[in-house]
Amino acid sequence: MPHSIVISHTACRGCTNCLKSCPTEAIRVINGSITILNELCIDCGECLRVCGRSALCLDDDDWETIHVHGSVNALPDPTFFAQFGSFFYPDNARELLVHHGINIIIDDMENAFDLSAYATARVIEDTPREHLPLISVYCPSVVSLIQLEYPELISRLLPTENPIDICADMWRKKTQSYAPLTLFTPCPSKVTLVRDPTEKRPSTIQHIVSIQKVVHALRAAGIKAPTDDSADEAIKRRFAGWAMIGGESRHISRFGRRHFTTLSVSGLRNTMDLLRQIELGLLQGVDFVECRTCDFGCFGGVAVLESRFLSHVKNRNIVSGWKLPEGIEERLEPIYNDTKIWKRSSPIPAKQRLPLSDDLSIAVAKMKRMEAIYGDMPHIDCGACGRPSCRALAEDVVREQGDMSDCIFKLREGIASLAGQIVRLAEHQPKPTQKNI
Amino acid sequence: MSDGEEKNKIRIEHSIAAGDYLKAGGASNDIKETLKMIGIPPNITRRAAIIAYEAEMNLVIHGGGGNIAANIDDKQIEIVTTDHGPGIPDVALALQEGYTTANDNARSMGFGAGMGLPNIKRNSDVFNIDSEVGKGTTLKAAIDITK
Repeated sequence: MPHSIVISHTACRGCTNCLKSCPTEAIRVINGSITILNELCIDCGECLRVCGRSALCLDDDDWETIHVHGSVNALPDPTFFAQFGSFFYPDNARELLVHHGINIIIDDMENAFDLSAYATARVIEDTPREHLPLISVYCPSVVSLIQLEYPELISRLLPTENPIDICADMWRKKTQSYAPLTLFTPCPSKVTLVRDPTEKRPSTIQHIVSIQKVVHALRAAGIKAPTDDSADEAIKRRFAGWAMIGGESRHISRFGRRHFTTLSVSGLRNTMDLLRQIELGLLQGVDFVECRTCDFGCFGGVAVLESRFLSHVKNRNIVSGWKLPEGIEERLEPIYNDTKIWKRSSPIPAKQRLPLSDDLSIAVAKMKRMEAIYGDMPHIDCGACGRPSCRALAEDVVREQGDMSDCIFKLREGIASLAGQIVRLAEHQPKPTQKNI
Repeated sequence: MSDGEEKNKIRIEHSIAAGDYLKAGGASNDIKETLKMIGIPPNITRRAAIIAYEAEMNLVIHGGGGNIAANIDDKQIEIVTTDHGPGIPDVALALQEGYTTANDNARSMGFGAGMGLPNIKRNSDVFNIDSEVGKGTTLKAAIDITK
């Protein structure tokens, strides 16, 4: 999994704040320099939150360069609209931004998210009860987490593409345009979604910029939301609701032909607990599960500007009371039947952690050695060796990617015993021979 | 068993306290992580995790606490629990789906639906339960990983 986090080695001081923030233990800080283990990173962005020196940043494109060419075709993430004033309705935003050379695509966003919700409702209805709950694929970090830590749950992931990708494809089909598309993203995981084609069909989105940068530039250019509540005439866009936790489930339930029991959770701890409970078969009777690794859902993403608390309030103004238009199901049915628009073309692969060895008996022997090494360690997980835990150092030692003396406690023991040896050697005198007496 | 065999065997052991619902699941998680680390295929890891979890919960709910151990080698994963709890008067009955003697406290938390033992049996290749009323219960469940 190539990740979307850039490391500034000049800014990194080699502190170990990021080490423990990583839910998959993907970070090592060796010799004052940070490395992210590609195969373990799920792009959740937790390390960016705790880095006080901005040594870790989102690997996005430069907004100024993209915008300087004039007209930009942009896919606004559902979190985009709550970044301004209280009543920044998507349709008003589109009108305002056209004058700044930005064409935000909202009709296709609405269609793609409707299609995704509609398809999900059909898939849930067609899935036997014992294979429920199904799990949302909207948060790419959750998908990566499942591939890595809960591979048994891959069969529970929805067989749909991410609606953002569906939207890009629908827009291209409609406009027959090859013009570049830019996604405004709230997090690193959506950068990887666009850039990493190994996971799925290649994305037709070219550029990706953090919402933080775009909104900053737009606010500086004087873009403001209207202050008056023109809610009566405003069109409530359904896709904007997906920015809030529970928004996806509400959208899907509205298309259900039976009642769906859904669960929505946010934050890493909740997500991991929930996945574990599904794995153990404890969530019987639940049809659909929506997880987001960020607290407060996508509004908690590292690359948004507005407070996650306030954006919740604002978004409620923008989306609450949305309705499904008359005849929408009849309109969606034929698009849904053309499954290649929304269905994932290849299955999601498991990403097993690299086992200690390909040969099981060697792996078992190494595991035993690792347990012995670990047993001999201080067990305080201080991080001074540059690994997130004593167990991780023990693992690195048996993988021959580390040494016991990387542990400062073991090093001190080593020095003490060496010092003792030096003293013994220094005090050592040759024994007088018999002759001299 | 001889020392030579011991060399290629991993043993994970945890003692489980009665009624400690907050920590419950920790031992089975440890077993699962170990299996992943040595490269056991996901479907087998999943079965072992379910066995370990249900067996661990049985110690918490019924057994008055006890011990859970996993013995892993390149042929099989064996999970053994021992307790000195009340014992099971009728093992055949306890193996029926939905049969439970869990108290209201356990049931109020969503446990004790009478699926524990049947679940363990369904997921294991070798299943053996040895129980004596008033003395306690020993459960052994194994998965063949060469299959």
